[in-house]
Amino acid sequence: MADETKPASGDSAGLSNGLVSHGDHKSRRVYQAARSLHSGAVKDLLSLGVCERCIFRLVSVEAFDSDLSSVSASTLRSWLESGDEEAASSEESSCCIVCLGVLQFVFSDAKQTLVRSECGSDYAARVTDLVKEEGHEFDSFGLEVYVPATILENERAVLLYLKGKYNSESWLQSEKISVKDALKVLVLDPLKVSLGAKSDSSSFQIRLTYSKASDEAQGASETTRERKKRKTDEENGSTSMSENSFEKVYEPCILSIHCNKMPIFFSGRYFKYSRNVSQTRWIIDDERMGEASVEVVHLELIGGNILPACLGDSYKFHAAGREDIDVRMLGSGRPFLIEVQNSRKCPSQQSLTEIEEKINKSEKKLVGVKDLKFIGSQCWAMMREGEAEKQKQYAAIVWIARPVEEKDIDSISSLKELKILQKTPVRVLHRRSPLERERTIHWMKVEKIKGSSHYFLLHLCTQAGTYIKEFVHGDLGRTTPSMGSILGCRAEIIQLDVTDVKMGDS
Amino acid sequence: MAENPETDDTIETTKQNQSEEEVEHSDEQKQEDELRSLLLSDIGDLPLSPPSATQVNFVSYFITDFTKPGHDQYIYRHANGLCVIGLAPTHIAFKDEGGITNIDFNVGKSDRSVLKVSGKRKKNAMRSESNTALCKVSTAKDSYIVRCCVKGSLLEVNERLIKQPQLLNSSADREGYIAIIMPTRPADWTKNKESLITLEEYKAKKEVSL
Repeated sequence: MADETKPASGDSAGLSNGLVSHGDHKSRRVYQAARSLHSGAVKDLLSLGVCERCIFRLVSVEAFDSDLSSVSASTLRSWLESGDEEAASSEESSCCIVCLGVLQFVFSDAKQTLVRSECGSDYAARVTDLVKEEGHEFDSFGLEVYVPATILENERAVLLYLKGKYNSESWLQSEKISVKDALKVLVLDPLKVSLGAKSDSSSFQIRLTYSKASDEAQGASETTRERKKRKTDEENGSTSMSENSFEKVYEPCILSIHCNKMPIFFSGRYFKYSRNVSQTRWIIDDERMGEASVEVVHLELIGGNILPACLGDSYKFHAAGREDIDVRMLGSGRPFLIEVQNSRKCPSQQSLTEIEEKINKSEKKLVGVKDLKFIGSQCWAMMREGEAEKQKQYAAIVWIARPVEEKDIDSISSLKELKILQKTPVRVLHRRSPLERERTIHWMKVEKIKGSSHYFLLHLCTQAGTYIKEFVHGDLGRTTPSMGSILGCRAEIIQLDVTDVKMGDS
Repeated sequence: MAENPETDDTIETTKQNQSEEEVEHSDEQKQEDELRSLLLSDIGDLPLSPPSATQVNFVSYFITDFTKPGHDQYIYRHANGLCVIGLAPTHIAFKDEGGITNIDFNVGKSDRSVLKVSGKRKKNAMRSESNTALCKVSTAKDSYIVRCCVKGSLLEVNERLIKQPQLLNSSADREGYIAIIMPTRPADWTKNKESLITLEEYKAKKEVSL
């Protein structure tokens, strides 16, 4: 409240008069609370260099509440001091020995400029400016406050001193609100107003971190002698504030503000049109172990387009399963999720559709996307649907050692729910357990290929987790039956494409 | 639900009504045609006889006259480091009348065919040196010891050979493989490799066309 009456120096009578004419019931409550505090304790703390709001915290019986927010420190001070003392205005600018300026609404910003605010709403306005710089769109927020450990230590020292002197007093027995919580009480409502947002434990967090200005410069840690002295003081209760039991800090803290939004998710299905086979892949240099990574660099196209639309920090790509690097993903596409960290805004469905079109129309045609949309917390359940129980559909180009005959087509198509046994394929045996897995080939269909008597197109629908390549070439007889054993000749697989990944919704 | 994509003359009516079914079906047909053209788009020239899976995924090495004359074996090394061991076509056992009639994995200190290797870390695998005995193959005339040739862990032996030893005669380089060994350290393999020869060198040495 900017029009709060400033105390006339040395004139106690003017105070209450000023109140009567301008005050509302909030300030009056605060005034009355101030006058009711134990004057001896107040005087002691003021002379030690404890700030006005901390005095309220430590000495008051009543709960520390937001009414204090609108009363300036200097006004508070004049209410706290008994009538016959001068308003010690020279001490106004010194940093509180307990809260280090936090509750005095004083801090150093990133440019090391000192920022002072008279009241909670002024402080909230400064914070709002800094929050706006981060660029987030939000309608609700959660507030987190971090303060240096020194504050807790210094407070402990002050309370010890008070206990030593005023042990039996009732006001000393109640639980004291921490500096962190006190700040939240003071600024939460003004922040809600100046940010134009509600407060809740939401997906958007504003973090206020106070850190000591001269952390490196000052000898921050106690010496052993100091620690011992502090321990004995704690046991005995000291009647004086020894200089060694707390850390004297001369400068207000540095305040840094960080905003973080919980990850948001987008779902869709992707297609992979590139078949990344390099002929030189199998020329082995003995340093390279393991088969070609199934990481598909091209899929970064999808996340790479969504991230800027969200103004996020980073993204993660999750897919419901994966295909080998030399296998294309066609047909229905494979379900995926894009998780975006710390997004500043959520793109509209319209922008998502535009991104989808942009990717699909791109010249290189490596990747395609469909059904790109924003998805909420059900996203993980959706992904899990693509797991073990589901079926996959493939198309393979197969070569056999003799010409394809009609009877071959019939015999293959007639096999339904064919059970096969697959030992762990040699190509993955180095990193998977040696097991024999039973799998089902639900159905197969053969299409001849024009102009090639030894080749045919094989469509098959199999249980999830079936190794298709090994089913065709037999993997040295470790998959039985195999295409070769069914047809009675050698069979090889030339190319493989995934044509359908069935999920619950399709 | 698994669906069998038939060609256009058969439509299975389900709970949906007829007209919806038809519209969906022609959409499906279009998608199928598009898919088919995509599937065949990459083919280009299909060679009459494409390279086999073994040729594509493995590099072939050979060792000849290993510990005894005529004991020729192959070592197919996969890109992931695993080695498939077997009898090379010029192995002396194939020269005997009737070929190989029996195989016995119970050589050395234990029966290799009762190994129980488990887990990703391949627990309980037998450690082998290059001259560790792997098995004994017998013909009508004689029997011959087959050795590991590779230093590492024995992951698997082809126990199908016990009931079907004729696989060795018909396809020693595929279904008739004998064992799979995983070299434990890259350094072991590099050292091993020094005593092996490549396919070209093998062909030249044995003057065999494969």
